[in-house]
Amino acid sequence: MKNNLIFTLVIALMLLLTVDSFSTNYKNIDQVQKENSVTINNGDSNSHEGHELPAAYMVIPFVVLLMMIATGPIMYHHFWERNYPKIAIALGLFTTAYYVLILHDTHSVMHTFAEYLSFIALLSSLFVASGGILIKVDKKATPMLNVLFFLFGGVLANIIGTTGASMLLIRPFIKINKHRIKPYHIIFFIFVISNIGGALTPIGDPPLFLGFLRGVPFFWVISNVWYIWLPTILIVCFVFYIIDSKNKTGEETVAKEYSGKIEFKGAKNVLFLLVIILSVFLDPGVISWVPSLSPLPIGIREIIMFSIVFLAYRHADPAILKANEFDFEPIKEVAFLFIGIFLTMIPALQLIAYQARVYSDLLHADSFYWATGILSSFLDNAPTYLNFLSAAMGKYGLNINNSTEVFDFVVQDKIYLQAISVAAVFFGAMTYIGNGPNFMVKSISERAGIKMPSFFTYMIKYSIPLLIPIFILVWFFFFNS
Amino acid sequence: MKTIDEIINNKYTGLYYGNRVILPFTAFFIEIIIESDIITDFSISSKGVLLETHENCTNLYFLDYKNLKDSIGKFENIKLLIVENGKDVFDLKNHRKLALYLKDNHILEIEELDNDILFID
Repeated sequence: MKNNLIFTLVIALMLLLTVDSFSTNYKNIDQVQKENSVTINNGDSNSHEGHELPAAYMVIPFVVLLMMIATGPIMYHHFWERNYPKIAIALGLFTTAYYVLILHDTHSVMHTFAEYLSFIALLSSLFVASGGILIKVDKKATPMLNVLFFLFGGVLANIIGTTGASMLLIRPFIKINKHRIKPYHIIFFIFVISNIGGALTPIGDPPLFLGFLRGVPFFWVISNVWYIWLPTILIVCFVFYIIDSKNKTGEETVAKEYSGKIEFKGAKNVLFLLVIILSVFLDPGVISWVPSLSPLPIGIREIIMFSIVFLAYRHADPAILKANEFDFEPIKEVAFLFIGIFLTMIPALQLIAYQARVYSDLLHADSFYWATGILSSFLDNAPTYLNFLSAAMGKYGLNINNSTEVFDFVVQDKIYLQAISVAAVFFGAMTYIGNGPNFMVKSISERAGIKMPSFFTYMIKYSIPLLIPIFILVWFFFFNS
Repeated sequence: MKTIDEIINNKYTGLYYGNRVILPFTAFFIEIIIESDIITDFSISSKGVLLETHENCTNLYFLDYKNLKDSIGKFENIKLLIVENGKDVFDLKNHRKLALYLKDNHILEIEELDNDILFID
């Protein structure tokens, strides 16, 4: 506890210094802004209005929320459990009030709220639909079987999203390994299936989907990222194989015969998953005949997804829900925390986007890779991706709000989009808050009795020593300019 | 005094009120999982669960909860790893995994965990 406290204080200090550094930079930005009359558009196609940049101190609510997400479950677990919805909403409302009352900028808030609704519609529908599916695998757990499981899950994440694949596969994965399971099993599951795996298609991970909505061709990602994705996945699986080969737990005590059978229950929920995947494309920006419901913050797609939440739960087999110990709490936790995260991070993202545009000439593929990656570890990777894409296009005088220009940019110089896409998806594995499914997988594992590492232990013991060297290799071979 | 087998086979139920669970048996408790909390410390100083054993029943007070019904969903359970009183704690074959389901009217269903429900001890 004492060590955690000291570590938290150090992190808090570092974050405050970051805020201070923002503040210093902000003075420069302020001057540049006056000289150049630069406006904020936050990567939003409907925004043509210029708004004032937020004050640097407005990143504090976001920092406070991140700190509480990191320390709450460790240091004041039950206070946090009871009060996180109120805290997340209060901090979000504080930022909202600042934008509406001080900056008179309702657009940024409404746009963010609409993005949040899209995000939570996709996550909640995948969560509920996959919660009604039960997969049983009666095979002996071996390191090789686990690696094959990860590879299958990594590919599946590109078809039903990292959230869908995580929810569908985490229980069978724990069951296969139940006699030998350790926290590292779950952590590698988060690395591969909840994050890195989903880098090949716009369905895989939300930032790629936002890119697709802006004009990045659907198959651009797979054709330009697969040769980065494949070695990365293989290296992560190889590291897992080495670690898992040393785990001899349960071998002496368990003498069980395995049938090798794979049982699948809940077929109708597969149909729901299919509808969710198809509805992803129901966007006026993608299909012209799809009506826009503007000024409502949701569209046809979100209505379909929220309807599936209701239908999939109502028509699910209660025996499967019981076997899956289905509960809305994990998605409720994500919904409350992310409304706070989405709203409080508006100032941070606008300041970052502005800085990126101001200094775009100095930014190269490697800086886009590391900046997108590090920020995606802690912030939501979808807006981070958009802001850095906007900055990269700014280098060529192109506008992210114009899909033809996005297409030109993609054709002109692919390395920037590659760096941003790969980093936004891969680095989501760095923390529990890097990507939506990470928290859900953690929660399901804990309910099964697996003692998961704390927020900081996850980083110090696993993600930093295991993933950062691999991400350095990715940078060295693909983005080292 | 009912045995665990009698309770499971005859589907005897327990009760719950607020943060208190009343089990119709006594046992040696090894582990309790409630939501994401994995509780193995049942000492007096522990703030997780207070155990109170009577002749024919056991009271469990979940001290961090005001009302269990507010936290435990319809398909969720509280998991127990126990050893029946009088049996050898050190023999792993005597370790029983039970699930408690909170039903209406304060009824607590007690089931032996099957292979479908995950419980890693």
